[in-house]
Amino acid sequence: MSTHAATGAIDHHHDHTTTTGIPNKKLFMWAFLASDCMFFGALISTHLIYRLHPTPNQPDIVGLFSLELTSFSTFILLMSSLLMALAVNACQKGSLHATRKMLLGTIVFGLIFLTCQVYEFNHFVHEKGLTLSSSMFGSTFYTLTGTHGCHVAIGVLWLTLMYIRSFKPADGSPWILKSVVHLAVFAVTTVAFIKSLLSGVHAIHEFGATSEALSTLVHHELPALIVAAVGIAALFFLGRDTKAVEFGEANAIDVESMGLYWHFVDIVWIVIFTAVYLLEYL
Amino acid sequence: MSATTHPVAAADAGHHEASKFHIFVQLAMILAVITGVEIVLIYLPLVKWLVVTTLVVLSLVKFMLVIFIFMHLKWDKLFCTILFFIGLVLAGGTVGALMAIFSAHDSVPLKAQEIYAERAAAQ
Repeated sequence: MSTHAATGAIDHHHDHTTTTGIPNKKLFMWAFLASDCMFFGALISTHLIYRLHPTPNQPDIVGLFSLELTSFSTFILLMSSLLMALAVNACQKGSLHATRKMLLGTIVFGLIFLTCQVYEFNHFVHEKGLTLSSSMFGSTFYTLTGTHGCHVAIGVLWLTLMYIRSFKPADGSPWILKSVVHLAVFAVTTVAFIKSLLSGVHAIHEFGATSEALSTLVHHELPALIVAAVGIAALFFLGRDTKAVEFGEANAIDVESMGLYWHFVDIVWIVIFTAVYLLEYL
Repeated sequence: MSATTHPVAAADAGHHEASKFHIFVQLAMILAVITGVEIVLIYLPLVKWLVVTTLVVLSLVKFMLVIFIFMHLKWDKLFCTILFFIGLVLAGGTVGALMAIFSAHDSVPLKAQEIYAERAAAQ
């Protein structure tokens, strides 16, 4: 024990102060994920049952999906899991800069996934006429993938809060107001950026990758583009290292709990990708 | 709430940490390759049951790799694995049971039977 105290190293997998030997936060997260498995199990089975026993008004599903977009989303989510694992690893080693970079990377990848999902839903509703109430397939598909998307959005919010928390000063000086501003800037920048991005994709669809598409984008989305640019500059400003922070290796359990949630979202998508998308092509 | 961490010997704590970065990167590459194989597989002229079985097995492999390596189950106490697998087995059992129930002929609603009969007659 004296050796432990002398080295000050932290065992991130075991906690000898609890009866189970497992940190309480981690135990809670595993119990929650086990219950969430049952939740998604019910949603996935409902979708599969109605696919195996189709009701009338069933749309042409293979013509509906874009395998390229879904494969890209899957790849993005898998890579976000890598960045999340690296964030946990960096935090366990006490590397603050690496932790922040990996958290930011995970946030960006999560937002790319959400943007793809928003694009897909928008395409289905406006161009294919598939809504929540147009057919049983629409109901089960949107409920399942929408619930997963909500989980991703909650994960992105949690990641953002953790990133902002990493700036809490060690000297106890006030930081709440700055954190609220940081979060607000993050939210506004994200919405403006995604709105501009979706409009850009829409313009490219309409006019091809031409100057006309660019001018249409600038004409329609100039305020959003300006807000996104100013927001990114503000995020760089707010993300500067000004003083010593409280966040460190002792917070690794918080990052790890969040990581467990994020990886769970990834494994649910692994199942959805096969069960909902790939099997339709057979 | 107890303290969440505990000091241990440096050699013990850092035993797996040094090589984890490479493990994670390699795993991400493996997952990407498996996903690519899954996508190619659906275009191959193979019998349906073989493709479905392979897709299910590959998804299962990806699932297990993520939970045991990215989610650290491999390095955590066995109780975490047991806890998660309780939920997973219950979820899997629910999926299996529901699929079996709705596949039974008697479970098809009468109205749906009429619709299926009309559809079959139309073909």
